[in-house]
Amino acid sequence: MLRTVASSSLAPSVKAKLIRAGFCSVADLQELRPGQLSKEVGVSQEEAAEILKTLHTDALPVNDGGLVARGVTALELLQREQAQGSIVTFCSALDSALGGGVPVGKTMEVCGPPGVGKTQLCIQLAVDVQIPMCFGGLKGQSLYIDTEGSFMVERVVDVARAAVEHCSLLAEDAEQQKAMKEFTVEKILSCLFLMRCHDYVKLLAQSYLLPSFLSEHPEVRLIVIDSIAYPFRRDFEDFSHRTRLLNALAQHLNQLATQHNVAIVLTNQMTTKVWNGQSKMVPALGESWGHAAAQRLILYWEGARRLAVLSKSSRPDGGHCCHTRSLWSAHTPTP
Amino acid sequence: MTVLRVGMCPGLSHDLINALQSAGIRTVEHLVSTNIEELAQKCSFSYKIIFQALMAVRRVLLAQHTAFPVFGLDLYEELLCSTAILSTGNPSLDKLLDSGLYTGEITELSGGPGSGKTQVCFGVAVNISCRLKHGVLYIDTSGGMSAGRLLQMVQAQIPGAAEQMAALQRIHVYKALDAFSLLACLQEWRAAGLQLMSAGSSVKAVLVDSLSALFSHLVGGRQSNAGMSMMMQVAGELKLLSKDFGVAVLVTNHVTRDSSGVLKSGLGHSWSHVPHNRVLLQKVERPGSHTCLRVAELTKSSRQPCHLQEELDISYSKNLNPENQPVTS
Repeated sequence: MLRTVASSSLAPSVKAKLIRAGFCSVADLQELRPGQLSKEVGVSQEEAAEILKTLHTDALPVNDGGLVARGVTALELLQREQAQGSIVTFCSALDSALGGGVPVGKTMEVCGPPGVGKTQLCIQLAVDVQIPMCFGGLKGQSLYIDTEGSFMVERVVDVARAAVEHCSLLAEDAEQQKAMKEFTVEKILSCLFLMRCHDYVKLLAQSYLLPSFLSEHPEVRLIVIDSIAYPFRRDFEDFSHRTRLLNALAQHLNQLATQHNVAIVLTNQMTTKVWNGQSKMVPALGESWGHAAAQRLILYWEGARRLAVLSKSSRPDGGHCCHTRSLWSAHTPTP
Repeated sequence: MTVLRVGMCPGLSHDLINALQSAGIRTVEHLVSTNIEELAQKCSFSYKIIFQALMAVRRVLLAQHTAFPVFGLDLYEELLCSTAILSTGNPSLDKLLDSGLYTGEITELSGGPGSGKTQVCFGVAVNISCRLKHGVLYIDTSGGMSAGRLLQMVQAQIPGAAEQMAALQRIHVYKALDAFSLLACLQEWRAAGLQLMSAGSSVKAVLVDSLSALFSHLVGGRQSNAGMSMMMQVAGELKLLSKDFGVAVLVTNHVTRDSSGVLKSGLGHSWSHVPHNRVLLQKVERPGSHTCLRVAELTKSSRQPCHLQEELDISYSKNLNPENQPVTS
């Protein structure tokens, strides 16, 4: 194994001590016992045992849930993707633009000016993820992280009632009717977890606690953060610090989405950019934040209509790889 | 700074190592740079030990650990035999890169969000797998990999379902979601000699999409030494991988704006010296233009003049490269 000590996940001070003692690669340390190591490097015996344990776990081949997955061929990945579902939005134009719905296992960002319906879309998704599998849904739970205080339970009840009515109209065979007995407004509300974070420190802390939350609740298939822009746009003087925090958070969320197979939906606000004497509306939080999510949906007003543009996507969508436009009616469809 | 260990070469026994350590000689560098006679006097070794063990050990260690100079002509001959040029599948990009990606070199593709870096990476992977029938290792760090899109691109190039599946099996996808796992992945490949998975087809390209997702938050702050050192280690591993195994490496990067508003590639000044060729992708700003057009500018190259620009079509929906010839030198 050519693993070097400098590339292992030990603390920098420990690495410096090991390198000064002459150990370059992990293979040098393998035959040593904690007592010998502590004498040579000058650390206590418990620390030496810790070091050897960390290096040993680093060297183990890790399985799919861990940090380094064994590689898969594109063919196996294709089969996995086709077996995974997506979360419908109940707006057919939007669903077809997204390739069936919001994909599970990836992050999606929804941007738009105030009042265009980002929170409504998030609430709709939080209800739609719970649709039973026989109707084409995922029967999963959802986690809603609210940073702006815009979450309204009454609206969730409305959307849930409409979804239950829609599915009961569709129920034909015995299996679907049996599933409808469990798909009620109360059940929907009890499978929706709500967290409130009012500043960025709490949001970051919450995101680091998410892995254990997801392990305890393996049925969660959707995490909504509404909105991610609000806590980061106030009280921040040092923009480069903010960019670094956001990039770290983005990578952490991508890791969560991949390892625990959840869809993550983030809501962003818009800001005005003045460029060359012209001004236009662009998503907030800076240019490097644009790389965070795998897909980006921008909602905007045109007169009295709401339109959506998929400005970043990697999914195949009928030949267009960049832009599609779809109509979204003025009232969120409540069939 | 390699520590002396038992079994490194014949003659290096446990007693000899202990004796050397008591004289303060712990590493190979110390042993080959000290004067043997002084060492013998300090340790009070016998004549036999000096001239049989120590000198032999010294010769073997020198042979193992020295770098030997190579004649320029031999190097040139070797390069002519071992370098291949891999077409990227996009004729305008090939023109910009002097016919394509060269093995043994690192090429960087940078651009803003939605500028098409991942699409170009997909295009390169599909072209190498379908046309050139070689294996490709794709490291995905941000979840942007979509196998459905790969299938679409493969279907545009190859008609039969069986060959399409075979082409997809030559692309190997790895997920590395933080810097340590990326480094572990690269070091494991170097140790295993890249003779992994692919039965029969050798690997000719390694794509990393994207490098900046892992490192942009680690570099640039006040305490960025650890992050910078990880990034440079990754750079070193990529260079070794490309030279030792004859593969072409393509990495993607994000962009930032400097104080005068000009776009430049991310990850800072230290990283900018690592890739041999750098291409900057931008969206085309003309109103009414086809939405799949991009402008690529060559910002660093070892062969072409800089600041060449080409327009690229990144839709990959039809066969962009009708001449079915891999270019090798």
